[in-house]
Amino acid sequence: MKRTRIVFIVIVVVALLIVGAGLLWRALNPAQQPLTVTPKGPIQVRVITALPVEPWVREAAKQFNAEQHKLEGEVVQVEIIAMDGLTALGKFDRDDFGALGERSIAGLSDAERQKLAQFPTAWIPDSRYLVELANASYKERLGRDVFLTDGEYRARPIAISLFAWGIYGSRAQVLQARYGELDWQAIHDAAIARGGWPELGGDPAWGFFKLVVPSPRKNVGGLAAMIAAAGEYYDRPNISTADVTDPDFQRWLGELMGAVTDISGASAYTAEDFALFGYSVGDGGQLLESDLLTHMAGIQTRWADPLIIFYPRYVTWFDFPFSVWMGAETTALEKNAALEFQRYLLSPEVQRQAVARGLRPVNPDVSVTEGDSPFVKWEAQGVKTVVPRTTAMRSPDRDVLQALLRWFDLNVANR
Amino acid sequence: MASRKSAIRNPQSTIHNPQSRRPLFIFAAAALSLMALLCCLAWGVMQVTERQKQATATPEAAAAADPRQATLRVAISPEKAVLFAELAEAFNAQKLRTPDRRTMQVQAEAQDVETMLQAALAGKVEAISPDSSLWLDDLDRAWAEQTGSAAPLVGESCRYAVSPIVLAMWEPVARQLGWPERPIGWGDVQAQAQRDPNFKWSHPSTSSASGLLATLAEFYAGAGKTRGLTIEDAQAQPTLDYVAAVERTVRYYGEGELAVIERAQKEGPGFLDAFVVQEQLIVRFNRQAQGLPRLVAVYPAEGTLWADHPLALLETPTLTANQRRTFQHFREFLSSPEAQAKVLAHGYRPADLTIPLDGPASPLTAANGVDPRQPQTTLQMPGPAVVEVVRNVWWYTKRHTNVYLVVDTSGSMTGEKLEAAREALRAFLAQIQGDLERVGLVEFSSQVNNIIPLDELGRNRAELEQAVEALEAGGNTALLDAVRAAYVRLQQANDSERINAIVAMTDGRENASLISLQQLAREIEQGNRTGVPVVIFCIAYGRDADYNVLEAIANASGGQVRQGDLESIRELYKILSTYF
Repeated sequence: MKRTRIVFIVIVVVALLIVGAGLLWRALNPAQQPLTVTPKGPIQVRVITALPVEPWVREAAKQFNAEQHKLEGEVVQVEIIAMDGLTALGKFDRDDFGALGERSIAGLSDAERQKLAQFPTAWIPDSRYLVELANASYKERLGRDVFLTDGEYRARPIAISLFAWGIYGSRAQVLQARYGELDWQAIHDAAIARGGWPELGGDPAWGFFKLVVPSPRKNVGGLAAMIAAAGEYYDRPNISTADVTDPDFQRWLGELMGAVTDISGASAYTAEDFALFGYSVGDGGQLLESDLLTHMAGIQTRWADPLIIFYPRYVTWFDFPFSVWMGAETTALEKNAALEFQRYLLSPEVQRQAVARGLRPVNPDVSVTEGDSPFVKWEAQGVKTVVPRTTAMRSPDRDVLQALLRWFDLNVANR
Repeated sequence: MASRKSAIRNPQSTIHNPQSRRPLFIFAAAALSLMALLCCLAWGVMQVTERQKQATATPEAAAAADPRQATLRVAISPEKAVLFAELAEAFNAQKLRTPDRRTMQVQAEAQDVETMLQAALAGKVEAISPDSSLWLDDLDRAWAEQTGSAAPLVGESCRYAVSPIVLAMWEPVARQLGWPERPIGWGDVQAQAQRDPNFKWSHPSTSSASGLLATLAEFYAGAGKTRGLTIEDAQAQPTLDYVAAVERTVRYYGEGELAVIERAQKEGPGFLDAFVVQEQLIVRFNRQAQGLPRLVAVYPAEGTLWADHPLALLETPTLTANQRRTFQHFREFLSSPEAQAKVLAHGYRPADLTIPLDGPASPLTAANGVDPRQPQTTLQMPGPAVVEVVRNVWWYTKRHTNVYLVVDTSGSMTGEKLEAAREALRAFLAQIQGDLERVGLVEFSSQVNNIIPLDELGRNRAELEQAVEALEAGGNTALLDAVRAAYVRLQQANDSERINAIVAMTDGRENASLISLQQLAREIEQGNRTGVPVVIFCIAYGRDADYNVLEAIANASGGQVRQGDLESIRELYKILSTYF
């Protein structure tokens, strides 16, 4: 046989062998990935984000991703995972994310490795005290904090939102005429009025006074509301376990919560419910200022009854700390990439976007009155750019929060 | 030229000649081209095989086998099937791709709540959209019981459409009750039903949000409260007596709001005076109905509930990253102006608050019988423990039933037809909860072969089950005689406290009865006027069943005919069980 023919046949046979082997391999391993080399991808940053700031952070992440930020030559891609702070805390507590603990990556099974690939790089909970609760839990297990409180990687607030009263205008007018200043005591008295709105001087069609408080099992705002109510009840900013387990206080709180329309199906999106279902589900409640501002226009469009905002004497707030996970579950590059995104969120331009969504900026170079500010737009509805003198509630400790949650489960959720 | 010739003649002589390398180069290029072609062919074969696999595999198997599955299976409540199909179609038309190039698809299937929750627990769907968030809590509780896991099954969720639950009334009926000048409440309807024996009203069972609301309203009224209902209130004898008295006025229950609206469209005001549905169904009715009076939405004065139609992702162990992506993109799509416009066009209130309900594009108008400024107040939803008690107690306080199952065992039922019918009858008996309903059985072929008299299921369930097992096919079809036998027994029982009904099934043509169709129809019409009203549901089983005869029997009693086959007969009996 001529040499060129031999070369030709050899090449064809080799080609057939390669193709055949490929087909055979694929047939025997149907679940395997295709025969391609996975290119070295971008640096993935997964951020679990509290619901009140999620729309803003998600939008910022979109911009950030589109701008192709790079770190050590690699593009950084941010993924936002919306999750209520308490839900995320529960997942950290139960170790649902698959933290390594004492194990090494080398000792993990394939399934564990896959799970670890989805481990959150950072967490933006509603409040700093959730970070402390997560740290307390891990300190018991690992003997160290998983979110730092000082240094370069410390948890930094990215925006602030206060809790304020939002009450439908027609209802607020009647309540003010009866009680003057609107506070938790006035709301309590309205809640226990046996005759409902007719007794308070309102329209009989309004039924009973309906209070909006989120289920604290689904929205940490529910806990904040109960803490604020306790502050006013005791007329002081620091609340102890003894305070919240006091039978008189619990009776008072029980009467107050008796005016909540739907605890059973209460969703995490209480302010959204308040706007979507209008005065039919709630006449008023203490909710996040940013949530109320976000829905002000929608409420007017849908219900033709404007919302009036009042600031309480004892104020609670969320500061949304951007907290980078400190552990071997994420790489140093991912941690630094998370910091890059944190800096982006704190930049004046992105902070202005936060203001447009009703959040108060933490960057001192940005004012709440800048641009198309809802703080200015809704001033006539009671919104204050500078909040009048109030007393700030101190962050309660873990035992107080647990006691309140236990009380809620026993007396409200399962009533 | 000479050298080329010599090269052709004597290839060996070309080894050291540069010109002589050309053939080798051509062969090598040809081989490489062939190799490339083979690679392309192989790739093509693999792609085709992959697609065929995707097309032929069942969705369950595909989801289980393919960790890159991007198709999201969503179970939805039946009344929004048309809207959801439109939304899913518009989403699928975008042909969005996952990062690994899989096409994102949404597949919707309408299911009642019970089936939906079972499908969710069994991992047969990756997302659900029931009529109310209430069921999400139920699902998580069931998941915790099933798995012992503290991690909830229900993951991220959103709302895209809401609709308040209302009392639907024909306009003249509503006006008689004082609408629109005077607010009408649950109490007014309950009082009217007790006052006027001709007033016909209905609500679905507590397996739908609207049925649960109607039932809760009765318990609140019975307890003399409009909030703060407790377990003690729900179990107190005066409350139970009140609820039982109101439930006695219910004409019959049914499979759901959509079926009720469809029957109202078909039968007009003679069907029912009032029934409980979502507001959007009234809009739909008034836009479609011709030559019928208007239905108006009465927003109950004591308060109502909202059907909030959540879309929730299920964190099942088999959920893939691509399915999660599909969910997130679909969720985003649902909030888009395009999707929200569709939501409004179907008579729902869109979740996007910037869309005015009184704008020119809105069908939520007085002309369509609804008022977007309503409702003013909602009924307080008690905690899960109270709701569970209400749902359980309702089975004891609801209007009970005397129902005869009339079953054809003629020769044509031989084989798998009879086996499917047995299975359907077993499902019917299993579906009827509690032991207080009275059920009897009439088996017929050339004549009535066997009658198991009416008795409470607590006493005769085993006997009925045995009789179902013992059914054997043979002989002709004496359908009319069998229906008459059941009818006569119900009239003789003369029990007006209960719903009296017959569920008659046949697969063939009447050919052996002593009584004629005209005689039977006359007897039923007269008996229903002078004795207890008996409603007859007929099942035309298979293509050979005489639909006209069955329709005449059903019409004489104010009942209905349903077409069934081997595949649907079980589901059909299950649906009919909801009427009792």
